Amino acid sequence: MTSAAGLEARDVSKVFFSGSTPVWALEGVSLDLAPGSFTCIVGPSGCGKSTLLRIVGGLEQLTSGEVVRARTDTRIPEAFVFQEHGVFPWMTVADNVAFGLRMSRASASERTARTKDWIARVGLTTFADHYPHQLSGGMRQRVAIARAFATGSPVLLMDEPLGALDAQTRQLMQEELLTLWESERKTVLMVTHDIEEAILLGDRILVMSARPGRITHDITVPFPRPRTVGIERDPAFVELRHEIWSLLKDDVRASEEDA
Amino acid sequence: MSSPDRQARTVEAARTERARERRLQGRDLALAILTPVALLALWEVSARFGWIDVRVFSSPSDVAVQGAEMAADGSLSEHTLATLARLGIGGAIGAVLGIAVGLLMGTSRALNAALGPTFSALYALPKVAILPILLFIFGLTETPRILSVVISVFFIMQINTVAGVHAIDSKLLEAARAYGARGADRFRHIILPGALPYIFAGARVAVGTGVIVITAVEMLASNTGLGYLIWNSWTLFMPDKMYVGLVMVSLLGAGLTALFAFVERRAIPWRRDRRTP
Repeated sequence: MTSAAGLEARDVSKVFFSGSTPVWALEGVSLDLAPGSFTCIVGPSGCGKSTLLRIVGGLEQLTSGEVVRARTDTRIPEAFVFQEHGVFPWMTVADNVAFGLRMSRASASERTARTKDWIARVGLTTFADHYPHQLSGGMRQRVAIARAFATGSPVLLMDEPLGALDAQTRQLMQEELLTLWESERKTVLMVTHDIEEAILLGDRILVMSARPGRITHDITVPFPRPRTVGIERDPAFVELRHEIWSLLKDDVRASEEDA
Repeated sequence: MSSPDRQARTVEAARTERARERRLQGRDLALAILTPVALLALWEVSARFGWIDVRVFSSPSDVAVQGAEMAADGSLSEHTLATLARLGIGGAIGAVLGIAVGLLMGTSRALNAALGPTFSALYALPKVAILPILLFIFGLTETPRILSVVISVFFIMQINTVAGVHAIDSKLLEAARAYGARGADRFRHIILPGALPYIFAGARVAVGTGVIVITAVEMLASNTGLGYLIWNSWTLFMPDKMYVGLVMVSLLGAGLTALFAFVERRAIPWRRDRRTP
């Protein structure tokens, strides 16, 4: 079941023009994700973390550098989870979850079986025939997450997947995502602005600086797996959170003042 | 400390509130039905007592009698079916072409740049104005009548479809791209359903416009159809028949609008507001 592949980005830069001045959204960013690892990117808003994710996923062109994808037989090598509006309003929950499989030409029987399985795993079996507008925000994100896992891609790219949820729902969803991932061990690259979320979920945390967007720190999260939210009470957790926040603080303040 | 007594009183108050809301809904419905009935009654009474000139404003009962006669001798269904056939054939061709071209223009920047401004200009042209050209080309046959409907419906559907495609949330298009939706898949699963709300909005406008156009065309260049019936009755000074034609055209428009509203609810279930608890 588990088919993991790594992902590599070498010296990726992205420059766009604002009027006649070139803006360096990303400058010389390199990434090397081990197969089956969970990597989180944190950074101030506007640091290019989403841009990096979109470049890695092929949704945006890079200006220089290269992205090396592992060779897989799946037609969708990286499956995305977006923050919001990534779920198609005109499809039922089942059709949304099945979408990646449909596009990658999975057989009807495989599609049905995997869709059913993943809907059950995110706890939406009774809502399979509902449309997204009939669901809560948390349920819609469960659909988006189920779709990404069900597609069968070895790499999952998540762009603040829980960012639009209220604090309590987000906490619940973090636990669910943790459990789902630990049972699947896909290669995940996730952008988040929530430091605690990054520590709870990630094996590694990459800290980015504001423009030009660069990876300034590469932190290994020391907690063993399987993890539970209980680690939030661990002094080491609090210490790590503080350390990352002090790395970010100046940049966050600067980007606030820029905006 | 809510005693059972207090609870009962609170529930009672809520029940009274709900009963009041239901009464108001019933009143709204009664008013909506009674208004046209009252107007018709007033019209009938005015005609009977000679307050209005019945040579121009036939009484509703005379119109009803005339309608029953025409229904019996088959002329009513003949005219109605002629109009309906032109609307149906012309509307279907115009809608299919308009939606297809709209989807292509909506997704191709170059095609939209090439055709958009020209089509917008042609959209503003009153379609009845080109009827003489069509008559020149095709003669006094069914073709120019149907073509008038085709052209009117085409532009409305094309413009609305383009707007519908452009209104699709760019984040959804990106999600579709991320999941490998390309070519025909993209049209079928993303572009068409995404544009459907606008397409149906266009269809509602097209029904109204189609009825106007076919009525006008039949007045000018036909000897069948409800438009012909209305115009011919006027030239022969037969107001009863004229009103029968008017009523039928109104019913046709209302019926088609209701049909489309029904189809729309079926075709766009994700827009129906049935939030489950």
